[in-house]
Amino acid sequence: MESIKDKVCIVGVGYTPQGRIPNRSALSFHVEAARNAILDAGLTPKDMDGILAQPATGDPTVNAWQISQLLGFHPRFGADQSAMGATAGGMVFHAAAALIYGLASYVVCTYGESPLSGGYGAGAYGRGAGDRAAFGWYGANTGYSLAARRGIAKFETGPETWKEIAVNQRKWANLNPRAMMHSKKMTYEDYYNQKFYVEPFRLYDICLVSDSGRAFVMTTAERAKSLRHRPVYVMGVGQYHPAWDPAQADHLAGPIGAVPSGEEAFRMAGVGVKDVDAAEIYDCFTYTVELSLMGYGFLGPGEGKDFFKNGRTAPGGEFPVNTSGGLLSESYQMGFTPLTEGVVQLQGAAGDRQMGPKTNTKEPEIILVSGNGGVLQTHATVILRR
Amino acid sequence: MAVQRPLPYATPETRPFWGYTKQHELRMQKCLDCGHIRWPAGMFCPKCLSDKSEWVKLSGKGSVYTFGITHYIYDKWYTDKVPYVVAVIELAEGPHMMGNVTGFKHEDIKVGSPVEIYFDDANEEFSLPTWRPPK
Repeated sequence: MESIKDKVCIVGVGYTPQGRIPNRSALSFHVEAARNAILDAGLTPKDMDGILAQPATGDPTVNAWQISQLLGFHPRFGADQSAMGATAGGMVFHAAAALIYGLASYVVCTYGESPLSGGYGAGAYGRGAGDRAAFGWYGANTGYSLAARRGIAKFETGPETWKEIAVNQRKWANLNPRAMMHSKKMTYEDYYNQKFYVEPFRLYDICLVSDSGRAFVMTTAERAKSLRHRPVYVMGVGQYHPAWDPAQADHLAGPIGAVPSGEEAFRMAGVGVKDVDAAEIYDCFTYTVELSLMGYGFLGPGEGKDFFKNGRTAPGGEFPVNTSGGLLSESYQMGFTPLTEGVVQLQGAAGDRQMGPKTNTKEPEIILVSGNGGVLQTHATVILRR
Repeated sequence: MAVQRPLPYATPETRPFWGYTKQHELRMQKCLDCGHIRWPAGMFCPKCLSDKSEWVKLSGKGSVYTFGITHYIYDKWYTDKVPYVVAVIELAEGPHMMGNVTGFKHEDIKVGSPVEIYFDDANEEFSLPTWRPPK
């Protein structure tokens, strides 16, 4: 693949209210997030000419063209795009290609969903698709629990490792006023006191469900220089999709798509794991964080128990992971949650959770972002720098 | 109204499979060109893309590839069934398929535990391939 290193930047991030937000459509979250991202970048509808939208789960009223109409621009480039949780990372590829080849000047990438308040996607996460309900296999919880059990059989992992991930991320959420779990502390005891959903997973191994949207704006490195924020450069990207349904997959204990997609992204970026200051990892489940970081080479199989302990990935730790609280403790916007957090940290715009002196952590230069979709079926890696 | 049992969703691809399981036979498609036995059911062999296959009878033996113990009640029908075991079974012939495992104490079931098939007659249309310790 031709290198796109340092040729494009992420220049704005858009948030919306997140949590249980009644009387809001999924479309409205896309539109609000996109509007806020455009304003955050210091742009106007007249500047915008590209859009990529991740349609809400099964909602036919959400598409890129509806969003651009409601925000008053006519795209020269756009699409609805989905690789489930790896979509945001995939959009970075497509937007980069469009920007580098001049198909667009400013591309907004959007996500929105209203599953808690009766939107079209309500219940989608818990549905038993196809034959699954007949076997009591529901949503992502069952698939990932089965993956995690395979992990337990193949290398040393389990609740002892996962509780560290959950507690460390909660500490980041406690610094993030937007986080759904901002005011709720978590101890190891709290973790173990939760009941099993699908064993081996307890409640705090499982991500949140949120009514919310999230968006980001991309442009060329040249244009980024004159915009509002310090530009955040895309150094490297890689995708790899093992694709197989979890009932047929043989990668449930790794190696997952993080391995080849990480290798590609690191090669393009010209850096290695030692150069990465923090990671924003797609954390639909605690186990996914461990398995993804293993795939990238930050730790070996069975090393998780030590890797995450003593708050190593928490505020004050030497290797921050999921600094917004992540999907587990901030809010669920699929791959947009980790990606936008990487951007905001590198902009220096993360408020009380900002890496650096405020949180007794390293000032970040390079952050790795992952996206993961289905049950370990799709994977995207993005390496960002300031 | 009685709570309805969740049932399989037969598709044109899987209808023959459910027809055989109704007769308490586990059959999957074997490629007539390269011999690969495939699951899920489909028109073409994912190894060689051949469109020629036949539904061959399998041994009904396998092992637990992985499993979860479901405690949460996702559907009312499972109210008095939890906790129950959902598993991926690695068949002796190679393919992996999902199914429920019964007859184990939950603390005794392991990845790798050998199992054999029996059929749970869910209604007049569907018999579900289900797994238990070999006799």
